[in-house]
Amino acid sequence: MTSVVNERSTMEAFGPHRAYASGLRLASGVEPDRVVNTHCCFCGQQCGIQLKVKDNEVVGFEPWTDFPFNRGMLCPKGVKRYLQGAHPDRLLRAYQRDTTASSGFAPLAYDQAIHRVAEAIGRIQQAHGDDAFAVLTGASLTTEKAYLVGKFARVCLRTANIDYNGRLCMVSAAAGNKKAFGIDRAANPWEDILPAEVVWISGANVAECAPITTEYVWQARENGARIIVVDPRITPIARTCDLFLPVKPGRDVALFNGVLHLMITHGWVDETFVARSTVGFEAVAEHVRAWTPARTAEVTGVPESAIRQAAEWWGTAQTSFLMHARGIEHHSHGVQNVLGAINIVLASGRIGRPGCGYATITGQGNGQGGREHGQKCDQLPGARDISNPEHRAHVARVWGVEPESLPGAGVDAYEIFRKIDKGEIRGLLSICFNPKVSLPDNNFITRALEKLDFYVAIDFFLNETARHADVVLPGSLHEEDEGVVTQVEGRVIKINKAVECPGDARQDWRIIQDIAGALGRPHGFTFDGPRAIFDELRAASQGGVADYSGITYEKIERQFGVFWPCPSEDHPGTPRLFESGSWNPVARGTGPFYFPDGKARFNVAAYTPPAEDTDADYPLMLTTGRVVSQFLSGTQTRRIGPLVDQYPEPRIEMHPQLADRLAVRDGDWVTAETRRGDCTLRALVVTTIRPDTVFIPYHWPGRKSANQLTIAAQDPISKIPEYKVCAVRLRKAAAAPDHAVLEPQQG
Amino acid sequence: MGHEASKAIRWGLFTTTVLAVLIVVGSRNLAHFDAALVGYTFATLFAVFGITYRYVMWLQRPPTALYWRRGWQVFLDRRYLLGNLRVLVWRLLAVFASNNFIWRRGRKRWAAHWLIMWGCVLAALITFPLVFGWVHFDMPAGDFEHYVVYVLGFPTMTFPVEGVLAFLVFHGLVWAALLVIPGVMIAMHRRMRDHGAGAVQQFGEDFLPLILLFAISVTGLMLTASYTWMRGYAFDFLAILHAIAVILTLLWLPFGKFFHILQRPAQIGVAFYRDIGGRAGLAACARCGQEYATRMQIDDLIEVERRLGYRYELGDGQADHYQRVCPQCRRAMLAIAQGMLWSSARGPVVEPMFDIATMMSPQQER
Amino acid sequence: MPVAANTEFFIDPSRCIGCQACVQACEECDTHRGHAMIHLEYIERAQSTQTTPVVCMHCDSPTCAEVCPADAIKRTADGVVQSARKPRCIACSNCVLACPFGVPKMKSEFELMMKCDMCYDRTSVGKKPMCATVCPSQALHFGTREEVERLRPRAQPVNRFRFGQQWITTKVNMMAPAAPPAYIDVTAAMHAGPTGRRYALPVVGAGASG
Repeated sequence: MTSVVNERSTMEAFGPHRAYASGLRLASGVEPDRVVNTHCCFCGQQCGIQLKVKDNEVVGFEPWTDFPFNRGMLCPKGVKRYLQGAHPDRLLRAYQRDTTASSGFAPLAYDQAIHRVAEAIGRIQQAHGDDAFAVLTGASLTTEKAYLVGKFARVCLRTANIDYNGRLCMVSAAAGNKKAFGIDRAANPWEDILPAEVVWISGANVAECAPITTEYVWQARENGARIIVVDPRITPIARTCDLFLPVKPGRDVALFNGVLHLMITHGWVDETFVARSTVGFEAVAEHVRAWTPARTAEVTGVPESAIRQAAEWWGTAQTSFLMHARGIEHHSHGVQNVLGAINIVLASGRIGRPGCGYATITGQGNGQGGREHGQKCDQLPGARDISNPEHRAHVARVWGVEPESLPGAGVDAYEIFRKIDKGEIRGLLSICFNPKVSLPDNNFITRALEKLDFYVAIDFFLNETARHADVVLPGSLHEEDEGVVTQVEGRVIKINKAVECPGDARQDWRIIQDIAGALGRPHGFTFDGPRAIFDELRAASQGGVADYSGITYEKIERQFGVFWPCPSEDHPGTPRLFESGSWNPVARGTGPFYFPDGKARFNVAAYTPPAEDTDADYPLMLTTGRVVSQFLSGTQTRRIGPLVDQYPEPRIEMHPQLADRLAVRDGDWVTAETRRGDCTLRALVVTTIRPDTVFIPYHWPGRKSANQLTIAAQDPISKIPEYKVCAVRLRKAAAAPDHAVLEPQQG
Repeated sequence: MGHEASKAIRWGLFTTTVLAVLIVVGSRNLAHFDAALVGYTFATLFAVFGITYRYVMWLQRPPTALYWRRGWQVFLDRRYLLGNLRVLVWRLLAVFASNNFIWRRGRKRWAAHWLIMWGCVLAALITFPLVFGWVHFDMPAGDFEHYVVYVLGFPTMTFPVEGVLAFLVFHGLVWAALLVIPGVMIAMHRRMRDHGAGAVQQFGEDFLPLILLFAISVTGLMLTASYTWMRGYAFDFLAILHAIAVILTLLWLPFGKFFHILQRPAQIGVAFYRDIGGRAGLAACARCGQEYATRMQIDDLIEVERRLGYRYELGDGQADHYQRVCPQCRRAMLAIAQGMLWSSARGPVVEPMFDIATMMSPQQER
Repeated sequence: MPVAANTEFFIDPSRCIGCQACVQACEECDTHRGHAMIHLEYIERAQSTQTTPVVCMHCDSPTCAEVCPADAIKRTADGVVQSARKPRCIACSNCVLACPFGVPKMKSEFELMMKCDMCYDRTSVGKKPMCATVCPSQALHFGTREEVERLRPRAQPVNRFRFGQQWITTKVNMMAPAAPPAYIDVTAAMHAGPTGRRYALPVVGAGASG
């Protein structure tokens, strides 16, 4: 396959370039043609926002103070999201690879491009089998699109190999929740944070990755809550929290086990709840017997006194809310970490009641909805199991196909690249995914991309991965289409269209249907719009755990969102899970949890060290994460000038004790090196990180990419990669790296 | 109050008298003074009194007084005078003639201001000497082909009646109106459309001056139209309207936005104050050590604040006055002071203590 | 229209998370479009993640206005200290250097001081200022006194500040613990470092004070 020959010329033509407000967007006297109520296009908080539209261009925003979740609040990304439209880098037509063109791409008529894609899919599947063509999707797509792409893979392409970038995000929490509760959704609406006596935050840089949640946490504190934060870094919320547990990366489950140990020895377990509503406590109690405070302190690196204090506050509280995010989930034992957290929640008995809550903080915009309706390799719509015959039959009936024709479970997103590398997968369609930046050990990803026979990317900007594509199809921006997404609380909300697609670009669902048509298999791909897709999705999800059948666009507008499950049109939705009497198709009245006996499961959460622990050669721990002004692989946010300016380039965060040993000063170039690669960035010398740990944000591509360093070790259950810890060594760089001459957003 | 006001009144009377005397002398004992314009003259005299009064009151404010004194002091400093004069010429061209700083604020805003400003300058240069009888035109005896320009009663240049120059000169106020009217239109348009301007503008401050200028320009043009194409139709009526507009404007000069015309030259002095103050040394922040202003300006501000009755004095070993702390440190101190109250209310936080030596086994150390 | 008398600004820097939503949003306001008037300060990033937003406190008798040689800064009847009047401001920077809170900004390219005017285009028509509307931590909060008393029972809004011998009273409130003293002594922080938690350095004497 062709390699990326001249990235500089490609960048010149397709960006990333930085957009700033100008023209109508800078004038202060513009009367918008209309103001559209919609949501932010970025993270899982999905803040309500109003976009001002003039002359088919989003020219600004106005806070949407009526939307109850954020009441007008926005983070800097939400404030500047309007600058992504009418962008000079916007793909306005289809392209094909052309090594004779200086940019590497030549324009192509849309119909011809679709024809080329269909022809390539046919050729590859005929020669190598249906599964040789894979589909990679994203959790920023609306639920309608996610549903349609899942159906497209299973019904039109008949490939098992579809997976999505939620694999990098939500899967550990999802797997843990399913094992413990039988359902994968935040158990509570965010308003349950407010009356909590203790708010426990593990592995979540709330201030930067879920900024709006900060207000809920602080408001709980105004009401008297104690805030416990577990993190290797003193994040902005950790600075003033009541108790800070500076955990060593990758040791979260040990901490939870140690806390449970203390809860048991001090009699802080809600025996009644445990007996009535759970199973499996004895085995877990037996397991945590060994997790004495001393051992916990030794493994986690948290002072014993702090562990005891945390256990006491948690154990004796009357109400509480525990939340976690990627910090405990991005591990080769991410599911174990999540189960450890759930165990202390179940032991406290504080769930399913007002002020008693538990949730994972969803990362991506539709991280929740995107994983429920069939773009995950092992799931069918309604969070149904693709290997369950009953589930297959239901979905096949809705789709009008034979259950036997549906493929089985495919492999996860990373495994898809391993299969590409091995030659088992020869063709790829990607949408809303930038694995060259976002997957760990991404030098491997680059090599794999070059082995593909055919790669088609659908996107609105030419992201770094799409530079390897044979055909690029111009998709739609968030504001160019309508549909639903499910935000962090499990609230299904409505994205509204503000502007029309420019040029040859079109809504992604149209592109998918056009490909199906060109393949000669249009059956089931002739929807006239998102509403029609949503109606079929409702039917497909009916009776499943993630039941959307009672949700309508109108009801969403009326109620400011509808919490699923919502099994009928007269059902108001389910803001809080696990309340007695709430709708539950699995337990059917036997109990609050989503198992036939209605009881939650304690699971033994075993501690294992990270896949790659420190040693003499690589004596430090590397952890990665986000900054507030950037989002994921930066395809959008690295194109928004004011956001780039806020935090232009990645820096290696390190403690002065470590910096002293390396003779490094703030701002010096430092090379971080792991067994997979190296990366030279400027140092950020701060006392707000453990001295044995360094942190690099991952939003940048190429030689600035933190994921050159990260390890592709995955959790055996969820298959999430271990972004949050690997062994690294540092040295002061002799000179500035080659990438120092690039613009900050490029790499 | 009494002292400042009486000083201002004295100055006002003085400048008004001086102007009156100049009018009498310049018009050769009112020989060239056009009695029809007496209304304008008295309005001007009133304006001069008002402007002087306000100017003197303004100069007596402690910051203005100090700035005024310091401005002349640094400008006239012999060591820098030559350089200052060079800078002055450049600043006059850039700031006054071309309004470069307004250009950077916004093109529309600049266009409006530049057109209005040059229109008014042109009109003032023509009108005042004519009204005061300092300039008048006459034909040499027996020669109906030429005009002679008399300045202060002395004949100067001569030009043909039918020539281009005559056309240009006698329509000078037309050209001024044609500059002012588009300028006013642009400014009005901005004021009516721009939400930001809309929020803070006031009728008296922002609209009235534009309306007055518009009224003067339009009635003036109508006068020209009346005698050029309409055989003087309604000329007298228009002349009264025009006079009312002009006189109202003159009377309004000391009170409203127009006063900035007289205050504005102070802007020229800022550069000298900064440059020469900078040569005398920079002030370093008493808290962070960063240089943040000229020492001269900080000392002047301390003096001004004392005179205004502020007591920002510190009993601090490192600094005698809060003015010696840079703005950035002030912003930080506010947050720290508030944080300290909360720290003592909530009790001390648990501070984790680590030693890198204990975090890596000996063989891991490199 | 004046700013409604029953709505006030309440600032709690201890809530600030440094996200800069306020800075990004400030640029979107019509009275100073394209220019952020709010300051977002890192107190000392090497030592702490402490940050603080600084908006104009709108002093009852504004030092900035009194030291202005051009008389360009006016306080409207509703107590809002407005940005410098463009025709008058001569860009001397006296206000920038004299403001006890460090608020005004000198836009040297415009030869003009600009400052936070509490989003007069919004507050004068009954909306909240842009920064306080978007602020995800509600370190910047705009609302009624009853609302803030109900939401934050452990805090009290104070509007008296001490700078050496000088007391300044402001329109904008800052949230302090609901206990005496009911004022903030700013110059008491003259030699203090960031507040809140940080990893202590084991070497005795290392690290900043406070």
